[in-house]
Amino acid sequence: MKKLKISLTGSPCMIKQLFFFIVIISSNLLFAADGTTLKPVLIDLNNKASLQRGAQIYINNCFGCHTLKYQRYVKFVDHLSLPKETIENNLIFTTDKNGEKTKIGSLMLNAVHPTSSKEAFGVMPPDLTLIARSRGPEWLYTFLISFYKDESRPYGVNNTLYPNVNMPHVLWWMEGVKQPINNEKTDFEYVINGSMSDKEYKKSITDLVNFLTYVSEPAQLDRYRIGFWVILFLLLFSFIAFLLKSEYWKDVK
Amino acid sequence: MSKFISWIDERLPVSNFVKNHLSQYYAPKNFNIFYYFGALAIFIFILQIVTGIFLTINYKPDAAQAFASVEYIMRDVEWGWLVRYLHSTGASFFFIVIYLHMFRAMLYGSYKNPRELLWLFGMVIFVLLMAEAFMGYLLPWGQMSYWGAQVIISLFGAIPYVGESLALWIRGDYVISDATLNRFFAFHVIALPLLLFALIYLHLAALHTTGSNNPDGIEIKNNKDENGIPKDGIPFHPYYTVKDIFGLSVFLIIFMFVVFFIPELGGYFLEKDNFVPADPLKTPEHIVPVWYFTPFYAILRAIPDKLGGVLAMGAAIFVLFILPWLDRCSVKSFRYRSTTYKTLLALFVISFIGLGYIGMNPVTPVLTWLGRLFTFIYFGFFVALYITSANEKTKDIPDRVTMHD
Repeated sequence: MKKLKISLTGSPCMIKQLFFFIVIISSNLLFAADGTTLKPVLIDLNNKASLQRGAQIYINNCFGCHTLKYQRYVKFVDHLSLPKETIENNLIFTTDKNGEKTKIGSLMLNAVHPTSSKEAFGVMPPDLTLIARSRGPEWLYTFLISFYKDESRPYGVNNTLYPNVNMPHVLWWMEGVKQPINNEKTDFEYVINGSMSDKEYKKSITDLVNFLTYVSEPAQLDRYRIGFWVILFLLLFSFIAFLLKSEYWKDVK
Repeated sequence: MSKFISWIDERLPVSNFVKNHLSQYYAPKNFNIFYYFGALAIFIFILQIVTGIFLTINYKPDAAQAFASVEYIMRDVEWGWLVRYLHSTGASFFFIVIYLHMFRAMLYGSYKNPRELLWLFGMVIFVLLMAEAFMGYLLPWGQMSYWGAQVIISLFGAIPYVGESLALWIRGDYVISDATLNRFFAFHVIALPLLLFALIYLHLAALHTTGSNNPDGIEIKNNKDENGIPKDGIPFHPYYTVKDIFGLSVFLIIFMFVVFFIPELGGYFLEKDNFVPADPLKTPEHIVPVWYFTPFYAILRAIPDKLGGVLAMGAAIFVLFILPWLDRCSVKSFRYRSTTYKTLLALFVISFIGLGYIGMNPVTPVLTWLGRLFTFIYFGFFVALYITSANEKTKDIPDRVTMHD
């Protein structure tokens, strides 16, 4: 089983920790998402429990409409440390075209027919495999905490980040429904309470976004870990190459 | 072993080739950091060919399957993500390296007599490389692949009389479609790489005929010892092979850092919108070409007229071809040239980078006027160079090369 060894908090190796800290901080500083309205979200792909919770929320709430058509169920065995039986019993609810239960090696499709979803929402709900790469985790996080009550919309809700989005507030039962108390829509009060507190809801959304970030590029689990050793090797190699070059060149005046 | 080598040599002059082009090929001893980029460009060319072969094994040049096949490579093919990132990062680094390689030629006058043909071959390589990169960018079939190609090909439509038919002929359809994807695939994986290979061969053949220029811009062949060996020359092998290995390893640290840690480079190497499958019915908000095209794209946008913009963009590339004849100063290296030349070159570099920045950003009134100013400076450089270089006040050139280590 592939296990991700690096972690910002739990790694025994100080140099490695520092290295990743610098990489992550600098890339965030250099390439921060544009648009000041986006809220930051802490992505930690080493947190398997968070990824598992995110997968659970996704399958139970999002997957009915939004496919993950480039991802295969079986990848969760290695990447999310989920046992095969758990995946087969708790994540796979569809059947294949022969009417048999979908195999674990299959791509993650759902049972929604394009015509009926167009009828219901006006558009086909997009596949979300790569949404964290095209929109960015901060966008997803902000989007999912920005629903508010708006009776003028077909589903009774609107979104401050994506005005007039054709999507109901699916997670209302977790968050509750909030209503703006000023015209700028910066302050809200809850008119319906959900099953979670504000803090718990934001934590769940973090898990969900964490999961989608993983799904958008599972290679992240490998590339940081391997990259560390590649760079270390190249540093050593460069040093030796430098010594070799200096040895040959010492007589060139 | 020696028997085997002589058996080969009687049938194919391998030893002679090694002697003439490596162990007894004399290169100036004063190369600086700018002289790594030629060798690095060859390295990236080979890297692109090798990773490209592995990508074609699983890529499907079909509008209905292309996007999914790239994701298949990224997820289900063993090490597919690495091969893909090496290829995508390689494309951007190819241009970084080539731009620095060209800038080196401008710093030290490497395009001048007797190396005009060497420069021309290099310019053809540059144009082919742009075509190669442009066609390769369509293949992932993302939104930017699609709309970027749509915008660039529609530029041909600006040409009077034949424009629209020409654009139609290139696309093979009225819009970018499966037909376009298939032909671009053919050009990207075989036609252009073959041409590039031939041109690189000619570029190197021309280089080894005249020998390398150097940071002092003096001909080492004019100063030979009694054995006919240039006094300031050292055998390419082992001196420059070991030096290039060192240069390559330092380059690889930077390159691999990008591949493993920031392969999208914040949307500059892999654009965010390209993770959305191509949709002919949905135009993205900002259609931005990849960074290496943006200086020329900014020149295109600086001209308010479509045909004028296309002509200006073409002229911006064409004018580089005739650089050896625009620069009439006999002194090669900027080290011994006038302050006027140094100022002009600095302005040229600023305008090129400035245009690159402007081309990446959405149109605003300020950026449009800045774009026009930089376009003026870009072309102004060549005009001013032609005028000032005829009677330039230069410094004395040393007899022998100087070492700055």
